[in-house]
Amino acid sequence: MNNYRDEARKRSQSLLIVEGHHEKNKLFWLILKCFPEININMDEIWIYGTNIYQLYNDIVKEYGEEWAEGNEDIDLPFVISKKQYPDKLRYKEDFTNIVLVFDYERHDTYFSEEKILGMQRCFVDATDMGRLYINYPMIESYQHLCQLPDDDFAERKISVSLQPGKEYKALVERETILGSKVNFPHKIDDLLEKHFGVSDTEKRKKCCNKILEISSVSGMENIIDNALREVVAEHILPTAKYQLVDWVTKQEYIHTNLTYWKYIRGILQQVIYHNISKANRIQYGQYQIPENKYKEYFERLDLTEILKAQNLASKDIIKGFIWVLNTCIYFIAEYNFGLVTD
Amino acid sequence: MLKKFTLQNFKNFKDEISIDFENIAGYQFSTDCITDRTISKMLIYGRNATGKTNLGKALIDICTTMFGGRRYADTGVFLNADSIDATATFSYEFKFGNYELVYRYARFSNQELRDEELLVDRKIIFSCDFEHNKFDFDNLEYINAETASVERYLQSRDIGDEDELQEPKLPFLRWLISNVALNNDSVLIKLADYTRRMRLITAENIMFRMPRRLNDTFYESLEDSNRLKNLEDFLNEMGVECRLILKKLPDGQRELYFGHEKLVPFYETASSGTLALVDLYRRLIPKSWDPSFIYLDEFDAFYHYEMAGKVIKFLKRRYQKCQIIMTSHNTGLMTNRLLRPDCLFVLSRAGTLTALCNATERELREGHNLEKMYISGEFDKYE
Repeated sequence: MNNYRDEARKRSQSLLIVEGHHEKNKLFWLILKCFPEININMDEIWIYGTNIYQLYNDIVKEYGEEWAEGNEDIDLPFVISKKQYPDKLRYKEDFTNIVLVFDYERHDTYFSEEKILGMQRCFVDATDMGRLYINYPMIESYQHLCQLPDDDFAERKISVSLQPGKEYKALVERETILGSKVNFPHKIDDLLEKHFGVSDTEKRKKCCNKILEISSVSGMENIIDNALREVVAEHILPTAKYQLVDWVTKQEYIHTNLTYWKYIRGILQQVIYHNISKANRIQYGQYQIPENKYKEYFERLDLTEILKAQNLASKDIIKGFIWVLNTCIYFIAEYNFGLVTD
Repeated sequence: MLKKFTLQNFKNFKDEISIDFENIAGYQFSTDCITDRTISKMLIYGRNATGKTNLGKALIDICTTMFGGRRYADTGVFLNADSIDATATFSYEFKFGNYELVYRYARFSNQELRDEELLVDRKIIFSCDFEHNKFDFDNLEYINAETASVERYLQSRDIGDEDELQEPKLPFLRWLISNVALNNDSVLIKLADYTRRMRLITAENIMFRMPRRLNDTFYESLEDSNRLKNLEDFLNEMGVECRLILKKLPDGQRELYFGHEKLVPFYETASSGTLALVDLYRRLIPKSWDPSFIYLDEFDAFYHYEMAGKVIKFLKRRYQKCQIIMTSHNTGLMTNRLLRPDCLFVLSRAGTLTALCNATERELREGHNLEKMYISGEFDKYE
């Protein structure tokens, strides 16, 4: 035996740093499903749950208090792996995407304008040190549209006093028109698991996918029948089939001759447009953007300036407010603006 | 300028590989890498043994075809070793003023052509199939070469086989250029002028000390104190701090020294980096003509990263119009400050050559750290 071979190096990894809630993974899952051009293998994402201030402190431990002031080259995979698996260190040179998604959480006991600004200023490039997306007030804001298009989104804000997060989530659930669309895959999955006893996750996933790939009413029954045949017992097949046929028929996508994913792709594109306009409103005071200028306006946006504006608006604990704005959806537009305009 | 080069079945390139110099993206930075909407400064990366040197040899093959000689003598295997095809094919597309010119040929070996064809403005000017003895010279008048006595060419080929002094299959293009009086603005003259000024510079011969006689002519030119000063300035600017002195020895030979308290012989003591830099200088800079095309293979193999950057910047300033292809393993040069994603290429083991901007779905921007992206695998599907 020779010993020529070193430990294999695994490149092209992706790191997603989130607050530890499922919501965030869910949105990224949806983004990657709808935009398969984005070169990230869903099964190869390292998801790390933490809090933005905890992460800040972890960086301090490695790079010192002043890290955010200097041009310190922060290696997040290293910082995190050192803490989580000190025996198996990982380095950013093996990562093609590092994405940080956090809620604004003004009410957090550790909230610090200075620290959060430092983070926003330093983490600007997903392909390098990492890209920080702060959602205002929370990730759920991407669903906070009441119709499409929704011109009222321009002035949509919430009072600082609206807390805890549950309150905002409930508000979005009441007002959103996207919720039922976005949740549809999970609803099917739930139905298969809880109602029809399909316990094998892989099988459920496969069946779900077949159903979501349907793009027209004609022939739908057959496809659903075939998809179910592989996972549910014969005697409940008809019930399951009619339930799903009913659900799919009630979804809008099936009547537009698009698969679920293509349809949601269009919806996410609209969500991005709304949030570009909104950010422009916050940073430059103008919501309306000429049709062909979205890219240009998008490139002028500065998430640090937006954070400053949000900090200012929400300072007063009684009269203060937070502009509703989702920035993590920008990941798609930053990856390639062409994905937003097709 | 060379617009496109296509190659197949040569050495490690079994499948077709091409370089499209006109395939540029609209970047607003490092615009000095583009000349007349054509890539003029290109940097190629690739793992070892992907064929970076072979690609240079292939590009320069047209020089041998047009002017004969074995300037880049190469005795190794010529055809791809996994292919059953009997020839390697080369195609060069040029643009000279308003003319579009294509010269393509197939070779059995370094010595022998199977066929050759010249097109100007998509019109076939001539085509020769040496294997089946089929010739078409119908459109020579289109390039004002109708006076060519093609019979004499065909005759010369016939006796060629017996006369060992002649190359077995003299390419018609070579014959045409040397046997027909052409106008100075003739597209053939432009082609000849371009290809005559194409150069391949590899690092491999720097490893060995240069033959004495090459030094001699170079040293002779350095007797002009301005020239010596120019070389010294060049070395200093690129990052080698030194003072040079040229001495004529009693036997009439010349010797170059580093000027210290005592004289130190240059070639015996200079570092590999210094030697490589002087070699580059000697081959390019004192020449009275400017190159049209340079393939600089592993040009910075012995350079400090900063020197490598300086040399690229110098080449960009000095040879603005020249099409320069460099190959390197120095990822520090993979930056938008020096180059741009449509001028940075990756050559893969599979024989594909892909610009960084086409090697990812991600939209590459000026602020991106291309080196880091390359290392972490952003372009790994094309490596």
